[in-house]
Amino acid sequence: MATKDAKPSYEEARDELSEIVESLEDGSATLEESLKLWERGEELAKICQEWLDGAKKKLDAAKKPAKASEEE
Amino acid sequence: MFETSSESPAPVRVVSEAIKDYIDRLGPIWIEGEISELNERSGGMAFMRLRDTSADMSISVMCYKTVLASVQPLPANARVVIHAKPSWFTKNGSLTMSAKEIRQVGVGELLARLEALKEKLALEGLFSADRKIALPRLPRTVGLICGRNTDAEKDVVENARRRWPSVQFEIREVAVQGAAAVVEVTAALAELEANPDVDVIIITRGGGSFEDLLPFSDESLVRLAASCTTPIVSAIGHEKDSPLLDLVADYRASTPTDAAKRVVPDIAQEISDIEKIRDRMYRRLVSTIDYELNQIAQLRNRPVMKDPSVMVTSRRDEIKGWRDRSIRSFASLLEIEKKELKGVRDHLRSLSPQSTMDRGYAVVQLEDGSIVRDASKAKTGTRLRIRVAKGETSATVNE
Repeated sequence: MATKDAKPSYEEARDELSEIVESLEDGSATLEESLKLWERGEELAKICQEWLDGAKKKLDAAKKPAKASEEE
Repeated sequence: MFETSSESPAPVRVVSEAIKDYIDRLGPIWIEGEISELNERSGGMAFMRLRDTSADMSISVMCYKTVLASVQPLPANARVVIHAKPSWFTKNGSLTMSAKEIRQVGVGELLARLEALKEKLALEGLFSADRKIALPRLPRTVGLICGRNTDAEKDVVENARRRWPSVQFEIREVAVQGAAAVVEVTAALAELEANPDVDVIIITRGGGSFEDLLPFSDESLVRLAASCTTPIVSAIGHEKDSPLLDLVADYRASTPTDAAKRVVPDIAQEISDIEKIRDRMYRRLVSTIDYELNQIAQLRNRPVMKDPSVMVTSRRDEIKGWRDRSIRSFASLLEIEKKELKGVRDHLRSLSPQSTMDRGYAVVQLEDGSIVRDASKAKTGTRLRIRVAKGETSATVNE
């Protein structure tokens, strides 16, 4: 698992999240481990979501003025 | 021939006469050039200036009008061959060629010479495609060689500005026909070629007569153009005209407007292209992000993430199961034990003296609990405990 303090890249976060979901589904982890995995999973899902939402917002912001000048 | 010194100089008349004497002895020669000025005075004489077609050199020529009449009317900048003898005019110390005969160099003759030159240059490989230099996509400065205030100039400048408003020009307005054309075009071309900011050079002039366009087939000019490292666009005359400059130019434009189109990109097209690329980039990115958003949503929607309490409840259910099983098995164990106990008790009960006592027997015990089976053991005064079917009592032995 990647260290918690260093913010992972989007791909790292997504891959780790998918691994976590798989090991949670697999059910082999102890409860204590599962709880830790789930917390980490939530955190990673949040990171991914924020990353994508941010990217989309940036794109929309860049697109709007271009569209506006096109209509002029 | 003269012994002169600062103390005994020769007078002008002596010197001039001596020169005349020398020149008069020279015979007539054939000279080719271009007539640039023609002055028919009121008298019987005509004066003209005969220019070299490549270099900036000229000589004056005079002849009887009757000599000139044989070739009249002459086109402007006519190429002629004259048979003339040099004459020295002592009055003003000028040298003039006196022409006895003037022949116009015919178009056929010029064409034949042009064709020969073309073949020679082609053999040298001056026209080959691998010599052509690609035009820059967006030149910093466009060199323009054209006539003064000509439509060709306007066409190039206006069309280039319309396509690319910030286009920079270095314009050299020169003679584009006549004897001065080769000299001036050559000088302008050499200058623009040497200018490091000039990325492309346009040489243009409008349509004209065959003679008008001859300077653009001049060997020295064509060779200079071929040696230039700056790409050259030629737009000379009309499509059908084919001066040799067109063949060495890196691009032959059909018109000045075409030349303008070639040297600068169309800004509207560029903007639209960039917008299209930008749009593609945007759409590509949006679809990537949407795809990833969907991936993340799917991961988040998996039961383990969506309802993490399963993690606890599944274990709680498991514990409850175990607990239930544990309770059930303990209860059944208890039942078995109870049954066993009852059996033991029943057995115990069957072994007890109670039933005997129920029939009226009693058990007599000493105080230490031992049963009295022999009356002699019970001395007078011994305390006895008597157990009957229900309860017990005590007695003391008398005698």
